[in-house]
Amino acid sequence: MGYDALVVGSGVAGMESALELGDMGYKVLVVEEGPSIGGKMILLSKVFPTLDCASCISTPKMGATAHHPNVTVVTDAQLSRVARDGDGGFHVRLLRQPRFVDLSACTGCRQCEQACTVSVPDQFNGDMVARRAAYIPFPQAVPLKAVVERAGTSPCTYACPAGVKAHGYVSLVRSGLYEEAFNLVLEATPLAATLGRACYAPCESACTRGSLEGPLPIRRLKRFVADTHYARRQRPPLERPAWNGKRVAVVGSGPAGVTAAWQLAKRGYQVKIFEAAPVAGGAMRLSIPSYRLPSAAVESDLANLVELGVEVATGCKVDDLAQLKRDGFDAVLVSTGTTRSMKLGVPGEDTLAGVSSALDFLRGTKLDQSPDLHGKAVVVIGGGNVAIDAARSARRLGASEVHLVCLEQRAEMPAYGWEVDEAAQEGVVVHDGWGIASFSGPAGGARALGSVQLKRCTSVFDPEGRFSPSYDEEVRSELRCEAAIVAIGMTADTSAFAALAPGGARRLQADRATLRTALPGVFAAGDAVTGPTTIAEAAGHGAKAAHMIDRFLSGLELTAAVEPLPAVDKAEVLGRQRHHSRRDPLPSSLSLDSSPASFAELEAPLSEDEARAAAGRCLDCGVCSECHQCLAACPAGAIDLDMRAKEEELDVGAVIVSTGYKLFPADAKPQYGYGKFPNVITAMQMDRLLAPTRPYNTVLRPSDAKVPERIAYVMCTGSRDQTVGNPLCSKFCCMYSLKQNQLILGALPLADVTVHYIDIRAAGKGYDEFFEQAKAMGTTFLKGRVASITETAGHNLVLRYEDIDNGGGVKEAEYDLVVLAVGVQPNADVANLFGPGELALDAFGYVEELDEDKEPAATSIPGVFVAGSTSGPRDIPESILHAGAAVVQTAAYLEAKPRREVGVGAPPLGGARASGPGRPASEAVA
Amino acid sequence: MREVREVMREEPLVRGRILELLAEGPRSVPELAERSGLPAEEVMVWLMGMRKYGFVAETDQDGEGYYRYAAVRSP
Repeated sequence: MGYDALVVGSGVAGMESALELGDMGYKVLVVEEGPSIGGKMILLSKVFPTLDCASCISTPKMGATAHHPNVTVVTDAQLSRVARDGDGGFHVRLLRQPRFVDLSACTGCRQCEQACTVSVPDQFNGDMVARRAAYIPFPQAVPLKAVVERAGTSPCTYACPAGVKAHGYVSLVRSGLYEEAFNLVLEATPLAATLGRACYAPCESACTRGSLEGPLPIRRLKRFVADTHYARRQRPPLERPAWNGKRVAVVGSGPAGVTAAWQLAKRGYQVKIFEAAPVAGGAMRLSIPSYRLPSAAVESDLANLVELGVEVATGCKVDDLAQLKRDGFDAVLVSTGTTRSMKLGVPGEDTLAGVSSALDFLRGTKLDQSPDLHGKAVVVIGGGNVAIDAARSARRLGASEVHLVCLEQRAEMPAYGWEVDEAAQEGVVVHDGWGIASFSGPAGGARALGSVQLKRCTSVFDPEGRFSPSYDEEVRSELRCEAAIVAIGMTADTSAFAALAPGGARRLQADRATLRTALPGVFAAGDAVTGPTTIAEAAGHGAKAAHMIDRFLSGLELTAAVEPLPAVDKAEVLGRQRHHSRRDPLPSSLSLDSSPASFAELEAPLSEDEARAAAGRCLDCGVCSECHQCLAACPAGAIDLDMRAKEEELDVGAVIVSTGYKLFPADAKPQYGYGKFPNVITAMQMDRLLAPTRPYNTVLRPSDAKVPERIAYVMCTGSRDQTVGNPLCSKFCCMYSLKQNQLILGALPLADVTVHYIDIRAAGKGYDEFFEQAKAMGTTFLKGRVASITETAGHNLVLRYEDIDNGGGVKEAEYDLVVLAVGVQPNADVANLFGPGELALDAFGYVEELDEDKEPAATSIPGVFVAGSTSGPRDIPESILHAGAAVVQTAAYLEAKPRREVGVGAPPLGGARASGPGRPASEAVA
Repeated sequence: MREVREVMREEPLVRGRILELLAEGPRSVPELAERSGLPAEEVMVWLMGMRKYGFVAETDQDGEGYYRYAAVRSP
């Protein structure tokens, strides 16, 4: 299965090659790595010397190529290997990059582009104007379909275990679309306000801006959008989806349970949550202190569930899962969290009043049933975040001293370093490297706590990294105290679910991939399965459970949801710019008191200005932010962010290489100031300014939109120049400059145009006349190289140049706008498709033609031919002529060997196939 | 001069501010730059992006070689 010929590249030479071969009846595959065919010609204003409209010539050729019955066009694709097959043909590996748009559905209406919240330079307009991450390449693009630019998943989004599109809501806040940002968070979990406060923000740890001045306050931005939403007096009610006829019971209302319930309810399931505690929310409502997470924030989030129709039954302990099935639930999710505290197992722990578990202590505090700690000395045992929560809560309850004792050295403590620091600032004294020997009562044998005996911990983990503390029993200490809080770990309470925790396991047993348990229709998720994690991790686990339950109840195989794209490489993100301006992060809003007396929330909210400014620091790492505005806007439902790259293998009879040329990077001549002075542009940029689809409303200079009055051309920028390693003349720069001179003088009759040149090379039919025409229209020609360009305070440009024809010497002149007539460079990357050294290049790096006189277009590889400027600078007519040579060579090669069976290869992106003339047609482009 | 990618990224951030200024009447790029205190070459980048997506449109020339632009759509 394959094609007679493969054409690599779809510029004018590639299109011409494909069309001619197709007309001969050969089956042709055109592979274009960009989102549209057409190459550079379609971007030009006019062509020389006729001044015909470039689009008017190019567009019909593009259309003909795309619709030719014998030509299949594949855009957004790369070839990773072209290998000879031993039969005179080639074995080709094709990688189709995802466009994230269903081309068969997209109508090219640009609604996605209008809705997109990410703004990036438009490469099809020389970076002079912005486009969006979701965009139509240009007005004459073929296919005229949208594409979503995705470099990968943004690191912040990739790091979120809850699956929240962090980059997306940051991008929406930057655009002032706060309600949309809130709704985006709710696509993953209803816990927007909760996570906006109590998440440990792995997104911020992953933020690329952290490599510059510091990460964005991504978590606080989430709180901002949640608080903004909840503060609205009139909010549109959440739309309840129609019931799909199935019911699911969720046991436990922690982050896993409520997220699962949320996701299932959104899919049309009738969901009821059973919560044993008197209030819903699990650890969010009963463990995390209010100074970090106010109960009101959790309750606001939980209200989303109720609004969506989820029933929440509190004070309702489930200990018979079979009864739930009998009650009509089609599936059950057990997500009861880790509600059982682990014990030290030391003397006095169970017998002395005043020793309590952290979970009981924190729960009592949250339910206004806290013990009286006023003036008391309190010892908290443990080095994790729960211990820190308990210690800081004890301070707020009036404890005169709070000592935190942990096995680990401070740097090893499982609690986050910043939390330990904050606790210390609030007066908590950390005693690291100690274990507990016993609890004792005061002298006299009372059953009240009087002190804690400590023993030195010499190591916490064994050589394999497992928890296995060792002690020096000889080194002892003692802390006097009236209360002790043990926070050394939590496990699931599996007592009610023996079938899910065989052998008295401390966690519920569920298949890691599907979250199914041993009981049919019963799934388990969250900390009850994984052990203690974070709110975001548990929420993500709950979302996974919902996905699996949905598939289970839909009779589908329990396969995972589509994996996100790999996280984009931070170095690649930073490398998109040579320089990043400093954007200072927001200062911390925490004000810590060494004797805190209140459980009031510590962290201040962001103001709207702060939120917008903070979001404005985002680097748009993944380019597309996954804000999903395009999904909402597309009337055809064509956006599909789950598309992934596909690789396929094909056989072809011959190959035409027509990858064209590269333009000389103008900033490689730093003395001309390109990239530094806004009014120094390249000739390609000027062509865009002159084209009907121009980036500005007319020819304007970029510094201030002034209509330029004095315009200079600097010829031979990057060609005929040994200093940049390119001794070749680029052949068509003189002619395109003459073309632009005339178009400028037509558009701006009052402008002065001066060309600084070495020679004007106008050899060709009508070319010299074209030169004379430019002179006659008023273009001034000054012979001599330009040495340097400097900028005035008003962004005018001073050229220092040699004036050979007017007495010689170095002179200076001031202009509004300078155009660098950049030369061309070989685009020989295509050689990498073949074996090392197989495709010979000439001394300048162009694909070598074996004998331009006798075998034009033939390369060092039999069956591989070259067309157009891939083998040297050629203008448009020459490229078309050269393509003709390549076509004849290809046809001769194909005819000289046995005809291959031509069958159906890869369908074009979004295209259907149709029969056509020529060989027995098995395919064609729609 | 900041890199154009960095400037363009901020278009959604400054769009409202530019439209607020244009609500007072058509303005040229130098006028917008002066009123906003933002660099003219950056206002140019943002304004042309906004023009492309239909937020603003040119009206007339001011006699000094500058076009004036008016708001035609809210943010």
